[in-house]
Amino acid sequence: MRASPPDPGHEHEATLIVRIQRGERELFYELIRPYEKRVFVLAFMILRNEADAEDAAQEAFLKAFKHLAQFRAESRFSTWLIQVAINEARLRQRKSHLEVMRPIEDQENEDGTHTPRDFADWREIPSEALERKEIREKLVAALGSLAQKYREVFFLRDVEHMSIEDTAVTLGISTGAVKTRLLRARLMLRDLLAPGLDGVWAGHSQIPKGTKPWS
Amino acid sequence: MVVKCEDVWREISNYFEGDIDPALKQSLEQHFTQCPRCQSVRDGVSNVIKLYGDKAMLPLPAGFDARLQDRLADQFNGRKISRRAWLVSAGVTGALAASALLAATLDRFVPQPRAKMSQPARRLPERLVAVVDGGKVFHVPGCPFMHGKYHMVTADEAVREGYTPCSRCMYEALRSAGKLTPGVEAEEIVRNDKPVNDGNPGG
Repeated sequence: MRASPPDPGHEHEATLIVRIQRGERELFYELIRPYEKRVFVLAFMILRNEADAEDAAQEAFLKAFKHLAQFRAESRFSTWLIQVAINEARLRQRKSHLEVMRPIEDQENEDGTHTPRDFADWREIPSEALERKEIREKLVAALGSLAQKYREVFFLRDVEHMSIEDTAVTLGISTGAVKTRLLRARLMLRDLLAPGLDGVWAGHSQIPKGTKPWS
Repeated sequence: MVVKCEDVWREISNYFEGDIDPALKQSLEQHFTQCPRCQSVRDGVSNVIKLYGDKAMLPLPAGFDARLQDRLADQFNGRKISRRAWLVSAGVTGALAASALLAATLDRFVPQPRAKMSQPARRLPERLVAVVDGGKVFHVPGCPFMHGKYHMVTADEAVREGYTPCSRCMYEALRSAGKLTPGVEAEEIVRNDKPVNDGNPGG
């Protein structure tokens, strides 16, 4: 339904990489610029803290620069960069012992079907809702409350619009695992956001809240 | 094909991916028209995908780009840094060479010692020493061999003025400061025109 975004000038990128590897270091910024936000948001998804995420993102870019010689042209630069960033963010997360606060969902069996809760009558939320900071914060908080394996998959697929296959390659898991985690992540987020998304955020507050179609 | 709600919940993600058998898709859509709960699930997931997929969802923090560029510049303008480092080290080297040259020049102007039989000090204590008015030797203040009025100068100044170190108090002072090993005779301070043979056990 939604295709992956077109590769932003794959050949241009390959040329840049070769030139950087030959010593034109200044071009590195041009190379990573399209991925700045992606790397930051990814680090944010894992670390759940803006300052840590920025630091991890910077560090990831520096590491990518240092190890650019190890980058093999047969893989995509974006995938490789995301992997570097994921590793960096995970490393920091282990260091900060945040895993102690691992959500209980993580213990659940991945094969188990998720049963949705709260079947409010959702209407379409316009994108303008995102202009409201409290809505963005709620979305971020909801995603942040998921276990990391769901956050990572959901982020790459639904925030970054990577394909299922690329997500699997990036995370080093099977496409089946990606699909399972994606389903659970989407349903869990829906549950978490249902109280806010059932029309209130859509700006239809004149419609009585909490009208359950079956009650 | 009749689908149950559980089937919808299992397939809803694939439904949005378009990764679903057309017959199943049709059955799901049929189910949606009859089941408000599954409609709610469908619309909710649709909203989740739409909202999180929006570019406006997570803006970069203000100044992120500038800070990143700064950090990258620090990292890969290594040439600039090394040029700066080179300048610093060149400066330091230059200063060292200049001071060595100056020292060598000064060496040629070693002051004539006031005491005819004594040699100027080579190993100077980094401290103030006492010079007796009209005397020829500088002392540690309180030295029993020091008599009369005295004033304090740095050892360096005293040497430049032609004073020589007291072979008793200055020797003790240098030895306790670790500048001399006990085996070295006092004459080393006053007569240092031959090289010291510290490292030779037979000496």
